[in-house]
Amino acid sequence: MRSCLTILCSVLLFAPILAADERADFSKDDIKFFEEQVQTILKSRCLKCHSGNAPKGGLNLTTRELILKGGESGAAVDLKDVGNSHLVQAIRYESFEMPPVGKMSPKEIGVLTKWVELGLPWPRKLQAIEFHTDAGPPPVNDETKKFWSFQPVKPQKVPPGSGNNEIDAFVDARLKEAGVTRVKPASAEQLVRRMHYDLLGLPPNPQFVAQWVARIRKPNGALNQKEVSRLVDQLLESPHYGEHWGRHWLDLVRYAETNSYERDGAKPFVWRYRDYVIQSFNDDKPYDQFITEQLAGDEIRNPTPDSVIATAFYRLGRWDDEPADPKLAFYDDIDDIVTTTAQTFLGLTVNCARCHDHKIDPIPQKDYYRMVAFFHNVRRYGVRGHDTVLSASVTEIDRPGDPATIKAAMDRYNNDVKDATTRMERIEKIVWEDLQEVEKEDFQFDMNKIPILQKRKGTLLNDKQFNNYVNQFNRLKKLRENKPKGLASALCVKEDVVNIRPVHVLTRGNPHAPAEEVAPGFPSVLSPPPAVVPEVPDGAASSGRRRVLARWIASPANPLTARVMVNRIWQYHFGRGIVRTPSDFGFQGSKPTHPELLDWLAARFVENGWSIKDMHRLIMSSSTYQMSSQGNADAYAADAVNDLLWRFDMRRLSAEEIRDSILWSNGSLNSEKMFGPSIYTDIPAAVKHGQSRPGAGWGNSAPEDKVRRSVYIHVKRSLLDPLIESFDFADTDQTCPVRFVTTQPTQALGMLNSEFILKQAQVFSEYLSQSAGGSLKDQVQLALTRVMQRPPTAQEVQQGLDLIVALQKEDGLSPEHARKYFCLIALNLNEFIYLD
Amino acid sequence: MQRANFCGRTRREMLWQAGAGFTGLGLTAMLDQEGFFGKQSVAADGVTEWKNPLAPRKPHFAPKAKNVIFFYCYGGPSHIDTFDYKPDMYGMDGKTVDVKTFGRGGHRSKGRIVEPRWKFKQYGQCGKWVSDLFPELATCVDDIAFLHSMTADSPIHGSAMLMMNSGRVLSGHPCLGSWVNYGLGSENQDLPGFVVMLDPRGGPISGAKNWSSGYMPATYQATVMRSQGDPILDLSPPGDLKGGGQRRILDALRKYNEQHQQSRADNSNLAARIASYELAYRMQSEAPEAVDISQETQETQNLYGLNDKKCSAVGRQCLLARRLIERGVRMVQIYSGGAHNDANWDAHGDLVHNHNLHAGETDRPLAALIKDLKQRNMLDDTLIIWGGEFGRQPTAEYAKGTGRDHNSYGFTMFMAGGGIKGGVSLGTTDELGSRAVDDTFHVKHLHATVLHQMGLDPNKLSYFFGGLDNRLVGVEGAQPIWDIIS
Repeated sequence: MRSCLTILCSVLLFAPILAADERADFSKDDIKFFEEQVQTILKSRCLKCHSGNAPKGGLNLTTRELILKGGESGAAVDLKDVGNSHLVQAIRYESFEMPPVGKMSPKEIGVLTKWVELGLPWPRKLQAIEFHTDAGPPPVNDETKKFWSFQPVKPQKVPPGSGNNEIDAFVDARLKEAGVTRVKPASAEQLVRRMHYDLLGLPPNPQFVAQWVARIRKPNGALNQKEVSRLVDQLLESPHYGEHWGRHWLDLVRYAETNSYERDGAKPFVWRYRDYVIQSFNDDKPYDQFITEQLAGDEIRNPTPDSVIATAFYRLGRWDDEPADPKLAFYDDIDDIVTTTAQTFLGLTVNCARCHDHKIDPIPQKDYYRMVAFFHNVRRYGVRGHDTVLSASVTEIDRPGDPATIKAAMDRYNNDVKDATTRMERIEKIVWEDLQEVEKEDFQFDMNKIPILQKRKGTLLNDKQFNNYVNQFNRLKKLRENKPKGLASALCVKEDVVNIRPVHVLTRGNPHAPAEEVAPGFPSVLSPPPAVVPEVPDGAASSGRRRVLARWIASPANPLTARVMVNRIWQYHFGRGIVRTPSDFGFQGSKPTHPELLDWLAARFVENGWSIKDMHRLIMSSSTYQMSSQGNADAYAADAVNDLLWRFDMRRLSAEEIRDSILWSNGSLNSEKMFGPSIYTDIPAAVKHGQSRPGAGWGNSAPEDKVRRSVYIHVKRSLLDPLIESFDFADTDQTCPVRFVTTQPTQALGMLNSEFILKQAQVFSEYLSQSAGGSLKDQVQLALTRVMQRPPTAQEVQQGLDLIVALQKEDGLSPEHARKYFCLIALNLNEFIYLD
Repeated sequence: MQRANFCGRTRREMLWQAGAGFTGLGLTAMLDQEGFFGKQSVAADGVTEWKNPLAPRKPHFAPKAKNVIFFYCYGGPSHIDTFDYKPDMYGMDGKTVDVKTFGRGGHRSKGRIVEPRWKFKQYGQCGKWVSDLFPELATCVDDIAFLHSMTADSPIHGSAMLMMNSGRVLSGHPCLGSWVNYGLGSENQDLPGFVVMLDPRGGPISGAKNWSSGYMPATYQATVMRSQGDPILDLSPPGDLKGGGQRRILDALRKYNEQHQQSRADNSNLAARIASYELAYRMQSEAPEAVDISQETQETQNLYGLNDKKCSAVGRQCLLARRLIERGVRMVQIYSGGAHNDANWDAHGDLVHNHNLHAGETDRPLAALIKDLKQRNMLDDTLIIWGGEFGRQPTAEYAKGTGRDHNSYGFTMFMAGGGIKGGVSLGTTDELGSRAVDDTFHVKHLHATVLHQMGLDPNKLSYFFGGLDNRLVGVEGAQPIWDIIS
C-alpha cells in the first residue's frame, strides 16, 4: 500500500515536467529500442554508481527526468547538441572516462549515443528503472554473530538410537527422520582393508587381512567390536600412521620444498618440518599444542628444537626473490600466511577482506589488517641470495652435546667449508675476466655456477680443473646440508623487533596507500576477547604477538578451532566433511549435514585433551564408519549424494597411496626408512625438458631411496613426479583442503606405458617367480591377492592365466613378458585403486 | 544473508570446492563424448545433470575465434628493434640521456642509447614500418593488429612470465589456456584441449608453472607436445605390445573391471575409469596422426621453412599448431626460445647476435602460419598472439656492448586473425620506446581481448576458489581492446 502511494506521489510530482517535454511521445520502435537495448546497458554499466539516494557525482540515471536534470556537472544530456552531452562524451572517454573500469564496447557506446540522439525515448509507464544495488558486505552485528559456526560449541544431548556409539545415534536420528535405512555392515575383509588404508595409507598384507578377519568375524557373521577396536589400536601404533595423516596436514599448510619462480630454489632443512608433522601425529600430540608450536613455537615459554622446527609453517610458501615491488611482495607473503592460518585453523576466508570488506562474511577489512598485525614483524623469507635466507629463516637448533666435541666438530666443519671454497675460487679466478657482464650477475646464484664454467671447459679450463670444480661444489653442498651433530639447523620463523612498524589498513590492498592504523586483533564477528599484546622486552628476538594469536586459536573457547579440526578428521575418514567446505565455515560455506553431531564431536575432542587418535577410535568404532559401500535403490533414490550417511562411500586412493601400493605389491617398497632429507624419483627426461635447465634441482637418489614412501619425495613446485601429479596431488602454492579426484586418459597412459609402471610390472613379475614357486597358477593367484588383498576367485585366476597364454600364442611374447603384462594389468585394476 | 549463487558460481564449481573427492566429478571430456554419461542421467550429487569438465560448453556470446595460437617469445623481444619504429633514435647511438628504466638491473634514471640495430621499411597497404628482422612476416602486416603500448607489472622474468600466462605475478594461478578450456571445453575427444610446445633448447624458467592450471583441476593444464619422437608423455605402448598385444591386455583389464563394477553399478567413477582406458587407447592412434607432417605437401612444408635448417624446428611447430587446431585443439602455445640467456630472446649481451638468431628462426614460420591459415579460410576463426613477457630498454644495460635490459613500461605485442582488424597499429611509446604514453594497455586487456574473441565475457568468467571469485582479468575486471576488434 505504501509503495503505491509513493508511486502516485512521484507521478504527480513529475507530471508537469513530462507535459513540458515536447518529445515525451515516442514511437513504438524507439520505446522498444530503449527496452531491449538501452536498459540493459544502463543496468550493467552505469547504475551501480548512478542510482539510489547518493549517486556518484550527484547524477542519477534511473529516470529520464533525473538524467535531464543532471548532477554536479550539469545536465547529463543536451538534447539539442548530442555531441556535447556529458553522457556521450564520458562514454567516449572524451571528458570523464566512464565507466572508469574500462571503455564500453563500440556497440554499447553506439546504442547509448543513438538513444541520446533519439531524444532519450522512455516508456510512459516506466517511472524509474528498478535497480537494486548490492546490499553490501554483511555488517558485524548481533544478527550476524548468531551464525551457527560463530557461536560457541553447544553441549548436545545424544538422541536415543541403536548402533555402536553416539555417532550412530546422531546419524540414525536423521536417517529415521528421512525414512531412509542404512545398508548392512561391510564384510570383515572390506573393513580391514578400509581401516588399514585409512590409517596408514598402505595396503594390508593378505595374511594380516586373513588373521584379522578370523578375529573380527563372529560365527553369526557380525563384527566383533572388541577385535575391531584392537585392530584400530594396533594400526595407530604403527609409525606409518603419521606418514599418512601427516600428509593430510601438509596439504593444508601448502607444504612444498622449493620457492617457485625463476630459480625455484630448495628450502634448506624444510624436511625437518615434514618430519615434525609425522612425529606429532605418531605421538598423538594434542592439537592445541600442535597449533601453538606451528604459530609460535619460538615464543612459548620453553621452546624446544621441535617447537622451533614447527615454525617452518611460516616458511613453506612461495618466495619471489626479485620482486618488482618489494613492498607489495612483503604484503603478498603476509597474505599467504593470513590465508593459510585463517583457513586451516579457523575455516575462515579472512583473506577475502584484503582489499575491501569481505563480500560474503561479516569480516571487515580492518579485521584483516588486525590479523596482519600479528605477523607484521615476521621477516621475509629472504632478501635475495641463499645467504639472506640463512640469515632470515634458518637457525641452529640446540641439540644436547658436550661443548668441546661440538667445538672440534665445528672447527672441522669450518675448515672443510673454507677449503672447498678456496679451491673453487682458485678455478673461478681463471675464468672471471672472460665472463660477460650477464654471467657475472648470474654467478651469484649457485645454480648458475657450473653451467657457466662448463662453457669454458676445453678452452680456459681443462677437464681436470672443471671436474675438480664440480667435485668441490658438490662437497660444499653436502657439507652445508650435513652440519656436525649438535649444530643442526632448521628452517624457522624470525622477527625483526628492532623497529616495530605500525600496521595500517591498506586502501584497496595497495601497500602504497596506507589508511587507518590498527592494532592486532581477532575477527570481531567471533566476539573474541581483546588481543593483549605484550611489551617487547629489550633484547627479545620476537614480539610475542604470534603467541597471543596462537593462544586464542588453540583455546577451547574458540568457536571454530575444534569444529574445523574434527570436521577435517571426519573428512579424511569418510571422503568429505560434515561441513563439505572444510576450510570455509562462513556464510558461503555449506551447512553441516549433522550439526549436532559436529558439535558433540568438537566438545568431545576438547574434553579428551585434543587427542586426534581418540577421534579415530571413536569414529572407526561407529557403525556409520563400518557400513558397506553397497548401493540400495530406495536409499539412492532418496539421497543419492549420501548426505544422510546411509552407506560408506567408495574412494579412490590418493596419488601417494597409488604409488606406495604399486611398490608394496611388488615387494619393493622401502617403508622401513623414515624421515630425513627428501628423495628424488626417476623423472623422465621428456618431463625435465620443460625446465629451463633440464634436471636442475632434481637429484638422483640411491635405488633403495627411490622406493621409499611418497611422502618423502622432494616437492619441487615447478617439477612434480608425473605419476603423483596426474593423480591429483595437492596444489603446492595454496592451502589445499580437499584434493580433486579426476579420471583422465593421461592417467591411463601413465599407468600403461610409463617407464615407471613398466619397470614395476617387471619387478612384480620377478617377485612372483621368487615368491610363488614355479606354478604359473600360483603366481597369478599371488599377484591378484597382493593387489586386491583378498583371495581371488578361481575365475579371476583363470582369466589371468588365459591372458598370459594368449599373449604368448597370439602375440608371440615370451613367457616372461606375458607374465609381466599380466602384472601390468593387475596394477591397473579398479579394485586395486578403489576401496569399498 | 545466504546468497544461493554468489557471483555466478555454479553448483559444479561449488562441488569441486566442497569435495570433489566425494562427488568424483573429475572426468575429462572425452568420457562424455563417448555417450557414456549421456546414459547416466544424474551426477553424483543426485541433483545436477552430469557435466564433465572438458565437455564443449556454450560460450557467453557468439565467438569470433574458435582457437588460439599463442606464439610466445620467451625472454622479451626488443620492440624498438622489431615493430615499434623510432626513426629519431638513429644517430643517437652512444649518447647518454635521461630516461627512467626498470629492469633486472634495478631502477635507473640515465642511460646510454643503443640505437636500433636494424633498418625499417614500410610494408603492405597500411604502410607499417617493420625492421629487417622480419622481412617475411612483414608481408602479412595487413592482417595484423600491433599493440605498441603494452605494459606489465614486472620486469623480472619469473613473475612477468607468470603474469603474461596467468594474469598474476604470484605463482599458483591458472594460465590463459586453462581458462579457455575451463570456459569452453574441448571439441576433440581424442586430443588434449590445450597444448604447449617448447623450444628444443629447453623450457622457459619456472617450467611447468607457465602452463599450470593452478588451483583448478589438472584437467585444465596444458599437455606438453613434442614435435619429434613420442608427441605426448607415455603415449607409445612398449614395442612388444604394439601388435595386438595391447588390445588384448586392455580387453582383459576391462573384463576384470566390469566384473568388479557389477555389484557397484551406481558408482559412475568406476565406469569412467573403464572408459578412460579406451580413450587413452584412441589417443595413442590419434595423436601420432595429428603430428604426422608427412601428410602435408612438399609445398606446405617448404612454406613453413622445413627445408631450411635455420627455421625448420619452429616451422614444424607452427605447422603442427595448424594441424592441431584443425583437429579441434582449443589452444596451442609455442615457445620461441628456451633455457637461459641467448638461447631465448633475453638479449642482455649481444643484441645483434641474439635477435638475428631468434627472428631468423621464427620469421618465415610465422609468416607461413598466417598465410597458410588464410588460404585455408582458417584465419578468421583462429586468433594468433605474438609477444613475450615484456620488451627491452632503449639504453644499454652495461658500460659496453649492445645488450638491453627488460622493459615492462612499454612493449609491443601483436594479434592476428580471429576477428581482429588487420593493418592496425594501436598505442604509442615515447620517442625512445622507453614507456607507453598513449592508449596504454595492460596484460589483462590482452587477456580480456582473447577471452572476448573466444565468446567469453572476461568479467564474467570466474572460478570460485579460496573464498573468492577469481577471474583471469582480476577482481577489478578489464575491457577488451575494442579498437582492434573488427
